[in-house]
Amino acid sequence: MRLPEFVHSTTFRWALGVAGAFGACTLLLFGFVYWQTATYVTGNIDTAIAEEAHLDEGSTRQHILDFIDDRLRDDPRRVKLAGLFGPDGRQIAGNVATLPSGMPLDGMAHPSKLIRVDNRGREEQNVRAVARRLASGDVVVVGRDADELREIAEIVARALALGLLPALCLALLTGTLLSRRAQWRVDEMNRRVQRVVAGNLNERLPVGDYDDPLNRLARIVNDMLDQIERLVGELASVGDDIAHDLRTPLTRVRAMLERGRNSAGSLPDLHVTTDRAIAGLDQSLAIITAVLRIAEIDHSRRLAGMATVQLSDILQAVHELYHPIAEDKGVSLNLDLSAAETVSGDHDLLLEAIANLVDNAVKFTPTDGSVTLRLLQRADGPVVRVEDTGPGICDVERSAVFKRFYRSDRSRHAAGVGLGLNLVAAIVKLHGFRLAIADGPGCQIEISCSAA
Amino acid sequence: MLVIEDDDGTAEEIVTALDDRGYVLDRAADGTEGLARARTGTWDVLVIDRMLPGLDGLAVIETLRGEGIKTPVLVLSALSAVNDRVRGLRAGGDDYLAKPFALSELAARLEALLRRPADPRETVLHVGSLELDLLARTASRGRRELELLPREFQLLEYMMRREGQVLTRAMLLENVWNYRFVPQTNLVDVHIGRLRRKVDGPDELPMILSVRGAGFMLRAPA
Repeated sequence: MRLPEFVHSTTFRWALGVAGAFGACTLLLFGFVYWQTATYVTGNIDTAIAEEAHLDEGSTRQHILDFIDDRLRDDPRRVKLAGLFGPDGRQIAGNVATLPSGMPLDGMAHPSKLIRVDNRGREEQNVRAVARRLASGDVVVVGRDADELREIAEIVARALALGLLPALCLALLTGTLLSRRAQWRVDEMNRRVQRVVAGNLNERLPVGDYDDPLNRLARIVNDMLDQIERLVGELASVGDDIAHDLRTPLTRVRAMLERGRNSAGSLPDLHVTTDRAIAGLDQSLAIITAVLRIAEIDHSRRLAGMATVQLSDILQAVHELYHPIAEDKGVSLNLDLSAAETVSGDHDLLLEAIANLVDNAVKFTPTDGSVTLRLLQRADGPVVRVEDTGPGICDVERSAVFKRFYRSDRSRHAAGVGLGLNLVAAIVKLHGFRLAIADGPGCQIEISCSAA
Repeated sequence: MLVIEDDDGTAEEIVTALDDRGYVLDRAADGTEGLARARTGTWDVLVIDRMLPGLDGLAVIETLRGEGIKTPVLVLSALSAVNDRVRGLRAGGDDYLAKPFALSELAARLEALLRRPADPRETVLHVGSLELDLLARTASRGRRELELLPREFQLLEYMMRREGQVLTRAMLLENVWNYRFVPQTNLVDVHIGRLRRKVDGPDELPMILSVRGAGFMLRAPA
């Protein structure tokens, strides 16, 4: 037989487990109550019969017989026992058939089995009994039926049955309902997640009012979906940016070609137009190449060209490469190597990153300004820092500059496709370094070459 | 010249463009066919796409090199993995070009492969009246001594060894500076401009020429 699905659910198993533990605890509790009650009742009986058996040493036999008669006379529940035996063990009086062998004659209560003899016949009874030898040599036995203990046990067992069984049933029922409910919520979540998978990114999981694990999970997933939706939106806008940045030069190229075709009067005229068109296409190609390169670096999981790289060599190379350009622009490019540090990295990529930073710095620094390329030593590792005296980057723009294709509005007139910093960010991230824009006059960008 | 390229459009572009420049070309459309023809023919240079149906481009090169065929190979690649270039060269390629590329870039690189540079053991290079002494590290044009910075010296040496060839900006960056990236600024133009001011005096005929849409060329004035 196939059990219903909820039986396999964790919640239902928990419910079963809890019901089991609850049952065990109840049993233990009732056992304790029984034990306490039995001890109390036994104590009472013992005290009573011991007192009764405590006859004066010098009591006459008649006195004792009166006592026995007295004791046995009023006993409708047939719980009382008493007997007098001669020194030889022969029964003299009472309703106890024989003196039980092995019964200590110490005047203390003991559990025992006595044979009761009265007008309704012989019957063995479980009793608490006291036996005591008198000065005369006779033995007096006083007992009381202990069946009450059995009754108490029965009452306790009945209470247990009446209380525990419904409790267990209730626990199972609750477990079933809870697991059904959890199952239903998981099914509902699954339905919604499937809708997200199908592309409906604004779908969210249902969140209830309570702070239970499932709700917390739903909230976490919803936060994640928010983030994904935002990223996808950004990606789409990056796509828009790329399309826009490509369309501008392409539109120009198209116009040029059209004009050239319609109005070029001579072959040299057409050549001029074609050359300009090719330059425009090259610009578009440069954008595509840059995007592909960033994607390629972004997707590289590890560095194949890893080696120990002397940072000062790279800085010197970049300085040499850009010095003439800066000079032509009337910007002084300074090099400050106050440390000679090596890092583990890809020489070509690090060179590309630092060259890009310097490229940007030179581009955005006005004539008579300066760009300084510094290698610093900090406690947590070497830092490459590019400082310029350009317009700098304001707080609002700081995170935006690392977004693809972003160019600060103030720099729209400067050449370049606006991907340089993205490339730097991708390379720095690939190395596990950190890129930061420091405060200061102009713009100060740092690459902290310590494992982040 | 044999072009092994599976994409018809690209292949046609390459064939047409190189045909215009006076090369005799043949094309193979997959790796297996390409390998077979590369083995039998006597080619001056091979252009091999990295990703080919049948047999991978790198495998073709490795097989050829394993058989002792030393025909120069230019590897084309649409893949833009960081280490692709290294793999292409390690497999036995002589040069590497990532798509998309300008046809002028391809032509210049093929030209460079076809015309292997002058004897590398030469220690004094001559182009026209230009002389470069690699041991003494001196340069002169006629009687005029040229004061060159170390990098300018290297640049001039590279250009003199490839006299009359079109050298693209990317080729110069790769081979003179050893840089693999395309800078955003016209870095090479600025460096060439400085070298040009030193080599070509105001009243001398220019030796360092700009080739429109392609790059630069050094040659003796006609």
